[in-house]
Amino acid sequence: MHSTKRINNRAIIVGLLVIMLMAMTCYQFINVNMKYFDFVMRLRSPKLLAMTVAAICIGSASIMFQSVINNRIVTPCLLGMNSLYILIHTVVVFVFGSTSTIVNNQNLAFILDVLLMGIIATTIYGYLFRKTNYNVLYVLLIGTVLATFFGSISSTLMRIMEPNSFATLQDSILASFNNINTDVLVMAVVLIIGVFATFWKDIQLLDVITLGRSQAINLGVDYDKTIQRILMSVTLLIAIATAVVGPISFLGLIIANISRQLFSTYKHTYLIAGSAMVGVIILVGCQLIVEHVLTYNATVSVFINIFGGIYFLYLILKTQGA
Amino acid sequence: MEQKKQNLISIGLFVALIILSFISIFIGVLDISLSGILSGDYYQLKILFASRLPRLLAILCTGVGMSIAGLIMQQLCMNKFVSPTTGATISSAQLGVLITLILMPSATILEKTAVAFTTSIIGTWIFVYFTQKLKFKDTIMVPLIGIMFGSVIGGFTNYFAYKYNLLQSLSTTFVGEFSLIIRGRYEIVFLIVPLVIIAYIYANHFNIVGMGESFATNLGVNHNLILFGGLSIAALITASVVVTVGTISYIGLIVPNMVAMFRGDKIRGSMLDISLVGALFVLICDMIARLVIFPYELPIDLVIGVIGSILFIGLMFKKLNPHSKPLKAKQKKETQAIGGEVNA
Amino acid sequence: MKISHLIKKYGEKSVVNDVTFEIPKGKVTSMIGPNGAGKSTVLNIITRLTQRDGGQILFEGKDIKDWQSKELSKKVAILTQSNNIQMKLTVKELVSFGRFPYSGSRLTEQDYKFVEQAIKYMELEEFQDRFLDQLSGGQRQRAYIAMVIAQDTDYVFLDEPTNNLDIYHASNMMKIARKLCDDLGKTVVMVLHEINYAAFYSDYICAFKDGKLHTFGTVEEVIQKDILKSIYNVDFEIMEIQDKPLSIYF
Repeated sequence: MHSTKRINNRAIIVGLLVIMLMAMTCYQFINVNMKYFDFVMRLRSPKLLAMTVAAICIGSASIMFQSVINNRIVTPCLLGMNSLYILIHTVVVFVFGSTSTIVNNQNLAFILDVLLMGIIATTIYGYLFRKTNYNVLYVLLIGTVLATFFGSISSTLMRIMEPNSFATLQDSILASFNNINTDVLVMAVVLIIGVFATFWKDIQLLDVITLGRSQAINLGVDYDKTIQRILMSVTLLIAIATAVVGPISFLGLIIANISRQLFSTYKHTYLIAGSAMVGVIILVGCQLIVEHVLTYNATVSVFINIFGGIYFLYLILKTQGA
Repeated sequence: MEQKKQNLISIGLFVALIILSFISIFIGVLDISLSGILSGDYYQLKILFASRLPRLLAILCTGVGMSIAGLIMQQLCMNKFVSPTTGATISSAQLGVLITLILMPSATILEKTAVAFTTSIIGTWIFVYFTQKLKFKDTIMVPLIGIMFGSVIGGFTNYFAYKYNLLQSLSTTFVGEFSLIIRGRYEIVFLIVPLVIIAYIYANHFNIVGMGESFATNLGVNHNLILFGGLSIAALITASVVVTVGTISYIGLIVPNMVAMFRGDKIRGSMLDISLVGALFVLICDMIARLVIFPYELPIDLVIGVIGSILFIGLMFKKLNPHSKPLKAKQKKETQAIGGEVNA
Repeated sequence: MKISHLIKKYGEKSVVNDVTFEIPKGKVTSMIGPNGAGKSTVLNIITRLTQRDGGQILFEGKDIKDWQSKELSKKVAILTQSNNIQMKLTVKELVSFGRFPYSGSRLTEQDYKFVEQAIKYMELEEFQDRFLDQLSGGQRQRAYIAMVIAQDTDYVFLDEPTNNLDIYHASNMMKIARKLCDDLGKTVVMVLHEINYAAFYSDYICAFKDGKLHTFGTVEEVIQKDILKSIYNVDFEIMEIQDKPLSIYF
């Protein structure tokens, strides 16, 4: 029975991989006017890569986060990183004006985003985690409050900003897979690999971490330090995803839970890989619908919020029944 | 002795409120003065009655109303972190306002309030239904669910706003602002007065219902009736504020908690203080909002957003302090599974 | 294992105050005492789940603090009361975690042998592929014990192992604790609420009151009318059943 289960999980992984590749191919080659083949390809592949990057970051971060807190109905997006992103952009536009290089050069903007978000977020949340003795739910509640705090400051600045700058700003703070240049994507990929390489050992300990604090310590794991490092990698991954595509909130909740339902296992290799692949499938699928069925009449994030919201309510009801 | 000290605090708050209200009337771009009003200057009186006084009354009603709404919800849910903001009440009221904007653009304030009230009571009711279903009510999990539920409703609001091209007007309608308050357009907030009086009368009932259904039934209190009634009052207060002033978060969350810190958790008698502190808080924030970029002014929601979040985080840290009793007991119990007990 | 002058404070209040005793090797020792006496805290400090504020715990000549956590986990195992796992985990997978200190996530043939033996010892063969959340409380407790057995440590610490179990499963649990000592030669230390279980199944008793060590000694030395009365502030009668002193309180 044990081995059949493992084979099952492998089969699901392969299945997901096939569906994912199909969705990606479909997205890349659907409705192509042969006359503009090269142009379309060049237009679509960065988007595809952006979606993949976002899905990998958010998918793995959500699974890690949930396992650390031992709670399936939370997502690291509640930490308030989206508002931090908006705040950073607002401040940059406010201080340097809409015409400065730092606003208009995408590469520079991306580096600035990741750096600032990485530093600010790890400082703030690191402090909060220590202060609350790693009571993550407390930190989450404070995170939502921080989100309002950041949001209020950004709105205040937007109010007293000149209209031109405001228009520039508004474009940059909507979640979107359009107009992402290749340099940014390459940097993002390198960063992701860097994060995974740095924290690989800790991520491997996740299986043991899910047994709870006392069991993990009993088995010789330095629980507090591992948790600290995992939360740090979660923060960085979310920062990267946000810096690439902008704020997306409910995606993590959906894909992490779908992955957990697909693989009834505790093994995080499966869960993380599954979550990332489900993420790609959903993002690409939604983007397909938005581009070809709705002809850009809604945005992907709207879709994900509504779909994710309903799924979230279902989760609450279901987990309580168990 | 203790009672006397409490009374002194209440009187002090009251005096401070009167003084600040008085000052508040004289802040603004157009100069008006006490002597001018007393001498019956027509122009100055017009400003006073058309704009300054309505604004002051709206501020006081909002402050009192939102803090009492928060208090009611906290008592009914037995959770210090529940409030119209964290209980999806505000976001549902916003959805209601949006619905009127789409379906009946020419609706009167009263009709708008009715729709917003309906949606906010439904939203709050669903939220409370979900929290009652929670088997293991973790103090933090309940408001988190409220916040996520709120952002689900916000997602719908955004979707419809996007679809009907109302995103722009939403952002101006929803941000709480007192500068648009003038005579003839704000009177709905006076609904708060009778509602708060009812809340005063039934304060003990709310307390009892918060202890649970069996507890309430044992004392001969109709649990569901009071629960529904209390939530309706909170929702109605919120809806009337959202329709006239706009969204104002945090008051319902912070004020009752602040008062509880210097008065203790004994609800009986603290409602007066909560009302006073709520009114004072909004009044002070409004003055800051008017003065910080004078002669322009900031929406009050933003000022409250900044001050409120800092205060709230301070409150949370205070609660985490190892000297506070409930947490210490928890630490000693020491399962410590990092919030792992939540869904035990 | 020698514990000396152990101190733990929460804020101003000291929960464990100058506790000194030595855990007898190869025996079953029970820690008893009223609520809040500090027995669980002492257990948690010994097993490094909680930081101490003062004192020393010598284990094989070295302070617990100076041990590598991983090395210690091959010598000392702890089972606490709160074991809620949200993951989908089968019994066999749980027991396999017991080998983590030795081989990490990749188990060797020998590890699997240990796992198999542990499952067999706890008579869990028919459940080994079931998920933990499909088991009854008693079965789940046995699965955790199996994991501790697979961990193959000299010392086993159990925090209120009979909690939430009915009489049948509780007494079964105590017999298992006894067997761990008698058959497998382990040193077993547990926190117990039920005095008679402690009296009947252990060799030594360690009684706490108000954060201090009240009495430490063999069962016969501790289970006495006046000692128990001064610990619990309740009147006791002691009876002898099967050569063991059992107490009746009222």
